[in-house]
Amino acid sequence: MSLSLIEAVLLVFVLGCAIGAAVLRDVLASLMAFAAYSLGVSIIWVMLEAPDVGLTEAAVGAGIMTILFILALANTVRPQANGLFESISVRTVVLVGAFVVVMIATVPSLPAVGADGAANPVVSGEVTQYYLENAYADTEVKNGVTAVLAAYRGFDTLGEAVVVFSAGVAALTVLRQEVFA
Amino acid sequence: MLELLNSHYNYFAVMVLLGIGLYMLIESRNLVKKVIGMNIFQTGIFLFFITLAFRAGGNPPIIKEGGGPYVSPLPHVLILTAIVVGVSLTAVALALIIRIYTEYGTLDEDKLKQLYYD
Repeated sequence: MSLSLIEAVLLVFVLGCAIGAAVLRDVLASLMAFAAYSLGVSIIWVMLEAPDVGLTEAAVGAGIMTILFILALANTVRPQANGLFESISVRTVVLVGAFVVVMIATVPSLPAVGADGAANPVVSGEVTQYYLENAYADTEVKNGVTAVLAAYRGFDTLGEAVVVFSAGVAALTVLRQEVFA
Repeated sequence: MLELLNSHYNYFAVMVLLGIGLYMLIESRNLVKKVIGMNIFQTGIFLFFITLAFRAGGNPPIIKEGGGPYVSPLPHVLILTAIVVGVSLTAVALALIIRIYTEYGTLDEDKLKQLYYD
């Protein structure tokens, strides 16, 4: 599938926000660029037919994450910014540029965006087809994502809950608090 | 090259996002900005997975009679889990940052190094 105008605009917006987050000197400005970035990314998820991921990204990535960052800023310091942008370090740009070039060298061996059939084993492979064909009969849940998340891979989701719980305990321990306040 | 960009555009965006995230992790002196960079790096990887799950003309995996073809739900599940784990990671990192600030009174990497070695 070739690049459509709306996808091009979204990608440019997202990349622009990411670069903004990187070069803006003020931490709060960088954070706002990151929140806009998360929102743009959640729209990209919807364009890629992943509404569940889009909802989670908008609620958790753009919402809760931004609140966490603002809380952290409120409890620490927002250094006085002299000048709008950070100075760019040439040495790091060269290093990161080399990394990006090496990564881009792998792109031609990936399937084209939107490919199906033999070209894209992720969407046409046996495993995906098995879940799509049997999810409703096995779990009586119409949403394939929910069926896999809560039924087939329920133990993984339990593990995820353990991770969130441990993170809460770790945050409280580090902050030497008994409860979130 | 232009043809490749037209058919593989999302993968190029993935690689550039990884680069931006890496740059922030290395170069930002403020610890909060480093965490933002880590999140951008993560989202780049998410974009890689969701793009692989996509097929042109596919519908979201809400299963109904004659609703196909569907995009693959499996990478979506993986990324849902990864987003939640990413938030947990960010929460712990920010808690550590608040603690560092109460102990040292600064979030600047260079100043922290100096204070540590003194």
